Amino acid sequence: MSCSSERIQRYFDGDLTRDERMQLYEHLRECGDCKSHYDEVKKSIALVQSASHITAPSKFTESVMDALPKRKRRSVAWKRWSRNHPMLVAASVFLVLMSSMVWVNWSGMSGDDVMVRGATGDVHVNYETNTVIIPEGETVAGDLTVRNGNVDVQGEVEGDLTVINGEQYMASAGNVAGNVEEINEILSWIWYETKSLFSGLTTGDDS
Amino acid sequence: MDDWLKQCIKEVKAGDPEAFAQIVEAYKDKVYQIAYRMVGNAQEAQDVAQEAFIRAYTNIDRYDTNRKFSTWLFRIATNLSIDKLRKKKPDYSLDAEVSGTEGLDGYSQLAATDALPDEQVVTLEWQASIQEEINALPPKYRAAIILKYMEDLSLQEMSEILDLPVGTIKTHVHRGREALRKRLKKW
Repeated sequence: MSCSSERIQRYFDGDLTRDERMQLYEHLRECGDCKSHYDEVKKSIALVQSASHITAPSKFTESVMDALPKRKRRSVAWKRWSRNHPMLVAASVFLVLMSSMVWVNWSGMSGDDVMVRGATGDVHVNYETNTVIIPEGETVAGDLTVRNGNVDVQGEVEGDLTVINGEQYMASAGNVAGNVEEINEILSWIWYETKSLFSGLTTGDDS
Repeated sequence: MDDWLKQCIKEVKAGDPEAFAQIVEAYKDKVYQIAYRMVGNAQEAQDVAQEAFIRAYTNIDRYDTNRKFSTWLFRIATNLSIDKLRKKKPDYSLDAEVSGTEGLDGYSQLAATDALPDEQVVTLEWQASIQEEINALPPKYRAAIILKYMEDLSLQEMSEILDLPVGTIKTHVHRGREALRKRLKKW
């Protein structure tokens, strides 16, 4: 059998049949050149393989994680957090909507106009002093709500009296059968809105 | 594919970066090794390996789960290494002598501590010398030798990683092996 470097290559590729391998071994016993070629390839492979165990530097994973695109990470962290805390998310969404609604109502009515709601009786409004007057002997049948004005009760209110952004005066003859409430701060306004929302929800009364 | 890996990839695709840490942890040594053997020094190897993981992360949607994950990841790492070598090429000849000693970086640092047992120092010297011989190979033969003999991959996987026909891979392995044989004869 003649020398063939191609056959030695095929041997190291694992492409020789069993018979071809036997023939090669036989040839290597007789041919010094091929034997040293074979030994040298074998040694090179062994050397390369012996060098093949290196490990990544310490803290490698941490530095990769730190280098990941930040925008994606943050939105993802938020997504993950919100997935784990659905109630908190629902509550905060509710709060945001609620407070913006309250704020719109509050600032929308902080103009100068006096507003009276729920008055069924003969209620007199003095626009110069911003005062709502329930004259003596007059009776308001239900609840009365006054915004942006003072209330002077000389007559009678059968329900609750709510004064928003104003004060109420009561004459000695005046009478309010229900609760009297003055609301002058945004916080008590929010409380009022929330209360009325929930009482609206629970009674199913949307007026 | 392993179940944990499948799960992690799913979570990363869904947008959870923490799951990616597990993937990095599992593949960092192999990816770093490919990068180190290809570019020939520790600093650039770390850059390349890190960049490979970042690209895998940002392109995870393009990974086809029917294929082997390591093949996809190694392909990114190999391509980045080859790019790095290509960029270095202009000053390659000037650096040729130095490039071998770059591999000694880790060794020099560690030796300075004087705290290593002799056999570890010998191992590091050995590693550096072999790296020097690998650095002398042209990049395409270098890639073939590294993937075949250091990462122990099949010709088929190598063909997918390097995007070359199996026949060409075989030729590269032969030539790389012959070049190494000639250089390592004196050892």
